Amino acid sequence: MVMIEVTGLTYYYPLSHTPALKEINLQIEAGQFVAVIGANGAGKSTLCLVLSGLIPTLFNGRMLGNVTINSMNTRNHTPGEFAGRVGLVLQNPTNQISEMRYTVFEEVAFGLENLGVSPSEMPERIEHVLRLTGLIDLRDRSPFTLSGGQRQRLALASMLVLDPPVLVLDEPTAMLDPQGSREVFHIIQTLTTKNTTVVITEHNLEWIAQTADRVIALNKGSIVLDGNPEFVLTSPLLETFGIDYLRYTQAARESQIYGLWPSQTPLPVTLEQSVLGFNRVSSIKKGGG
Amino acid sequence: MTLGLYTAGDSWLHRLFPITKLIFSLSAIAIIFGGPNKWLSAILPGVISILILWSAGIAWRALKLIVQLLTPIAVILFIVHGFFGPANHQILMRLGPFVLGQEGLMYASLIVVRLVSTLASSLLLVTSTHPGSLIQALEQTGLSRKLVYLLGSPLLLLPQMARRIQTIRSAQQSRGLETQGNLLQRIKALFPLVAPLVFSALVDVEERSLALEVRGFSAPTPKTNLTEIPDTTKQQVLRWGMIVIAVCFLVFEFWRKRNGYD
Amino acid sequence: MSLKEQLKKDFSTFTLALIAVAIVLNIVIGQIVSLLKLPIFLDSIGTVLVALVAGPWAGGLTGLLTNLIWGLITDPVAAAFAPVAMIIGIAAGLCAKYGLFKKWWGVIISGVIITVALSIIAIPIRVYMFGGITGSGADFITAYLLATGKDLFSAVIITVITDNLLDKIVTAFLAWFIVKGLPKRFISRTPRANAVLE
Repeated sequence: MVMIEVTGLTYYYPLSHTPALKEINLQIEAGQFVAVIGANGAGKSTLCLVLSGLIPTLFNGRMLGNVTINSMNTRNHTPGEFAGRVGLVLQNPTNQISEMRYTVFEEVAFGLENLGVSPSEMPERIEHVLRLTGLIDLRDRSPFTLSGGQRQRLALASMLVLDPPVLVLDEPTAMLDPQGSREVFHIIQTLTTKNTTVVITEHNLEWIAQTADRVIALNKGSIVLDGNPEFVLTSPLLETFGIDYLRYTQAARESQIYGLWPSQTPLPVTLEQSVLGFNRVSSIKKGGG
Repeated sequence: MTLGLYTAGDSWLHRLFPITKLIFSLSAIAIIFGGPNKWLSAILPGVISILILWSAGIAWRALKLIVQLLTPIAVILFIVHGFFGPANHQILMRLGPFVLGQEGLMYASLIVVRLVSTLASSLLLVTSTHPGSLIQALEQTGLSRKLVYLLGSPLLLLPQMARRIQTIRSAQQSRGLETQGNLLQRIKALFPLVAPLVFSALVDVEERSLALEVRGFSAPTPKTNLTEIPDTTKQQVLRWGMIVIAVCFLVFEFWRKRNGYD
Repeated sequence: MSLKEQLKKDFSTFTLALIAVAIVLNIVIGQIVSLLKLPIFLDSIGTVLVALVAGPWAGGLTGLLTNLIWGLITDPVAAAFAPVAMIIGIAAGLCAKYGLFKKWWGVIISGVIITVALSIIAIPIRVYMFGGITGSGADFITAYLLATGKDLFSAVIITVITDNLLDKIVTAFLAWFIVKGLPKRFISRTPRANAVLE
């Protein structure tokens, strides 16, 4: 089943003459885990806003083409109607605190309250996501006393409690320390088992290579590469779009020049693949020499 | 900056439904300024408020706040109206070139009593009610969530912002940007202190509004509440009673004035 | 556009988040300025800012709520002046709507208009509730005027205007500069900033 369908999308922000997104065509299947990569200003954040139904209704820009999420055309539905159907997690953990509630538990309840979920149903759902995000012991703390990583997990919990079929994440770890990032990645990974459709923009290519079903590369507002992680992350074009290679890929690319990577083997995107490849070279060398 | 006025506790006053206290304060203030018999209307609500605060064990704190907040105003009121009151006629005392007049003193006293009374009845609400509970109670009684957000969010944002200011201030001070000195120096100190704060706070607005949207802030569905602050029928009756009393007093005074009894 | 539609446009979630921040800016900047002992207040800078980009209703609400919240957490006396703070926002918003915030001299005129408008509300509150005294330095002006034989009402009128004129002109200028310095992206989300930018 197609969960998200984008056809002929071009989008200009208000007061801007260059499109932020240009002629995008895209289909995302339900349950697919899609990573979007690209240099700064390539249009990743704009795409996130489009795929969570906030553009065009919330922004006064000009949009050509059509976007449907779960068969709802984003032109005809307000963000209020998309709430609970599409989740969105943003970069800055602090900005995602509602500032309406005094404890972590109540903070997670905020979205449920807005969507009119019956209060008797809430505690169970909230406890479930607090466990999932490792925040259960902090349930009575003020959201403002949490660390950055904990706040971002709280933002995730606040989305997950609504059980949205689609979750969009715009660089959710950009402002976190390594430990905080690891915890957030770990939670997102558990979603892959849940049939949630995930779209994430992220700079950590290593994690993408391990987790994503599909990688889309954006350059100047257009989709320039689209395919499985091995294909996109090893593409010779990648560097022309201002995207750095994974260190494994980069090592193999450089080694290729000296004949230190087997010519028939695709470039590696994980540690395992690269170990395998280099092993093969050394065994060939040993066998030959 | 903390939520300075609230005093935590578990007295019967603390446990009252916040709206009951709010209605008390508003009715009291209406009577203080619009009730019949100026002096009685000014004194009585204050006395009742202090008694209630006393039975809840927070009267001392309230009195301290009243003294702290009103002393400057009261002193100036007595001096200005005592010596320069335009209605002064009856001379009580001479101090060099200045004369102390009875009318001015009485006028200043009335204003001070009213202010003390007003402050006492509003402190009854704000010292015994956590701002968050007051806002939740308003929400429960049907205030739109948009307004509830506008009242609630600043309360939680303020301490964050105050902390950010502290950080910026200490950074400025360590860079030698003085916050003391003459007027020009102080004005110069203001901009580097405030500008980064203003712009970063404004830039954050977009993300904050998006985060609210995706959590259904403007969803068309009717809202629910995780927890409810308990209200009782007794208190409902009490609230209507207080409103009726206040309205009667005001109407009576209005009628009296119109018929020229003053 | 009907009033209902205009209000809906003026009070988008973006505007609400902006008002919340503006309320905090009013309080925080007001406190810093009083800490630095400057001869102005700047405690309505957020109000005027909102009025410029989101119109008189949003501006008025910002002012009103600023003082109510101030009253709730530090000084209930501030709540008495909530209507004054509201008028500042409404007046600034109307000045912007009629194009006064396009040129620097218009900004000065706006500062004057805001001062006059707020005086109309502030004077009765000061006289009737506070006997013309507020416990600030401005009381010296009132005392002096009373001593020279002015009646209370005229004394308070002069006090309020001298006390506010400089502050409101400076506030109007600062808010104007801030709006001009805001990123395009931000401006495009606000309903009325076009009335300020050329």
